[in-house]
Amino acid sequence: MTETTTQGTARERPEAPAGAGGRPRGAARTGPNKPLLGAVGIVAFLGMWEAVPHLGLVSERFLPPASTVLAALAQRATTPGLWIAVGDTLIGWGLGLAIAFVAAVLLGFAMGALPRVRAFTNSTVDFLRPIPSVALIPLAILLYGTDLRSTLLLVVYACFWLIYIQVLYGVADVDPVAEQTARSYGLGRLARIRYVVWPTTLPYLMTGVRLAAAVALILAITAQLIIGSPGIGQEIAVAQSSGAVSSVYALIVATGALGVLINIGVRVLERRVLRWHTSVRGEATA
Amino acid sequence: MRRTLAALTTGAVLLAATACGSQEADSDSGGLTTVTAGVIPIVDVAPVYLGVEQGFFEERGIDLRLESSSGGAAIVPGVISGEFDLGFSNIVSLIVARGQGLPLTTLTNGVTTTGEQGADMGGVFVQDDSSIQDAGDLEGLTVASNNLKNIGDTTVRQSVRVAGGDPSSVKFVELPFPDMPAALDSGQVDAVWAVEPFASIIRQAGHREIASNFVDTHPELSVAAYFASEQRQAEDPELFADVTAALEESMAYAQDNPDEVRRTISTYTEIDQGVIDELVLPRFPSEINRESVRTLADLMVTDGLVDSEPDLDALYGAKE
Repeated sequence: MTETTTQGTARERPEAPAGAGGRPRGAARTGPNKPLLGAVGIVAFLGMWEAVPHLGLVSERFLPPASTVLAALAQRATTPGLWIAVGDTLIGWGLGLAIAFVAAVLLGFAMGALPRVRAFTNSTVDFLRPIPSVALIPLAILLYGTDLRSTLLLVVYACFWLIYIQVLYGVADVDPVAEQTARSYGLGRLARIRYVVWPTTLPYLMTGVRLAAAVALILAITAQLIIGSPGIGQEIAVAQSSGAVSSVYALIVATGALGVLINIGVRVLERRVLRWHTSVRGEATA
Repeated sequence: MRRTLAALTTGAVLLAATACGSQEADSDSGGLTTVTAGVIPIVDVAPVYLGVEQGFFEERGIDLRLESSSGGAAIVPGVISGEFDLGFSNIVSLIVARGQGLPLTTLTNGVTTTGEQGADMGGVFVQDDSSIQDAGDLEGLTVASNNLKNIGDTTVRQSVRVAGGDPSSVKFVELPFPDMPAALDSGQVDAVWAVEPFASIIRQAGHREIASNFVDTHPELSVAAYFASEQRQAEDPELFADVTAALEESMAYAQDNPDEVRRTISTYTEIDQGVIDELVLPRFPSEINRESVRTLADLMVTDGLVDSEPDLDALYGAKE
C-alpha cells in the first residue's frame, strides 16, 4: 500500500480522524500539547487532593493527602509484597483474558460458519450476556474457594461476551463481493477464512479485546477484593480491615496506574495488529 | 502477527489446562499433610499464625496453610465444599449455619471476651459530646453493626436490655467495620458497635464507649470458634485430633504471650503500630464456654434470629 491510497481512503471516510503520513492540520496543533495537558491535569488533580484534607473539608483520617498516599505507595514499592500482588493480578488478568479470547474467537468463527446454530443459540446468548459477572461470586466461592480460579471464572465470563459479540458482528460484516471474488478465484473454506473473514473481523476483534482488557482488570480486582483470591484487591481488603487508610489509597492508586499501563499496552497492540487498517492509518495521535 | 496470535492461543490453552488441572495436593514432599484453614485477616486469628510460626502444627505432621479470605464470606461455603479443611467464624454464624442443616461442628474455641466492662475487644461507641450515657439511652436510635441478625446486634440488644431499655426500639443498620469511624464522626449513625482494631481507632479519635456488649451478654462469652465439616472429620479423625491439639497448644501459647500476639499481628495485617500497641486483646481459652453459648442461643431465639431452640450438642459434635 502506498501513501496516496492511505490518504484517499481516509478522506472517503469522514468519521475517521483525518491525516496519516503527512499529519496535516489538527495533528500539528493538538499533538505536541496533549502530553503536556495530561501532565498538567494530573498535577492539578494531585494538588486538589493534597488541599482537600489540609483545608479540613474531609478529615485526614479518612482521606490522607496525596503526598502521604504517594509516600506510602513508594514505601510499598520497595517491598516484594506489592510486586507479588501486582504479579498475581496480572496473571489473573492475562490468563482470564487469554482464555476468553481463545474461546470467543473459536466459537465466534464457528457461529459465523453455521448460521443455523447461531440462530439457535441467539436467545441463550442474549439471556446469559447481561448477567453481571459479580453475580457469579457466590458460585465462584463454592466451586473454587479463594484461589486463582475464582478470579478466572469472573474475568472469563465478563470478557468472553465482550469479545464474542464483536467477533459475531465482525464475521457477519464480510463484504459479499469480496467473498464472491474469493470463491470465484477458487479459495477453499479455510483460505477464505484466512484471507477474507479474518481481516474483516480483526478490527472488531481488537475493539473487543480493548474493552475486555479494561473489564478484565476491574473483575480481577473485584474478585480479589470480595472473594480474597491473591492480588492487589486482596491487599486492599487486608489494609481496609486493618484500618490502614493510607495503604488503601496507595493500593488504589497502584490499581489505577496498572489500568493506565494496560490501556496503553492494548492500544499499542491494536495499532500494530491493525497497522494496515484505515482506522489506524488515519489516526492523528502517535 | 499470525505467529503472535498462535503463541497467545497456545499459551492460553496450556495455561487453562494447568489452571484446571491444579488440584490441592494432600501431601507435600516433606511428608507433612497439607491442611488449609480459611481465616479472616483480623486480630482474633493471631494464635494460629503464632502456632504455625512456633511449629505446633509441623511437629504433628501438619502443614497448615492459612487462606485469608477478606470478608469471611467465603469461609463457611469453603469448608462445606471442601476447599478449606477448617475455618474460623463467630458463634452466631455457626449456630445459624448449623440450624440451616449445614454439617459443621466446632473444633475449639476461637476468642473469648476479656470479661472487663470498658476494656473488651469490642464495644458500643458514641460521639464524645453525645447525650447518650448508657446502652439504655439507645432506645429509638440508630446503631451500626457489621452484619444484621448476627452476633453484633444480638449482643448489643442484650446491653440495652441489661441497662433497662427496650431493645426492640433500637434500629440497626449494616455498615462494614472499616466505615464505622467515619460514620460515627459525621453523625450518620448515633452509635456504632465496633471490634478491634476499629475499637481502638475509634477510641483514639476521642469517641466514648458506652457499653461492652460481649461482657453484658456473658462475662465468659465465647465469641468465635474454629470449625470443620463433619464429613471431613469422619474421613480423617486422627488428622483432626492432631489439628485440634495443635490449635489448643497455639491458643495456650497466645494466652501466655500477649507480646508475641501483638508482634504477629503486624505480620499478617496492616494495622498501624500505634494501634497494635493499644489493642485490647481477647482471651484465648481453647474450651468453648457452653453456658455462654447457651445464653447467646437463647437470645437468638428471643430476638427471632432462629425459629426454634438451636441444637448446640449437634454443633459441638460427638466429641466429649
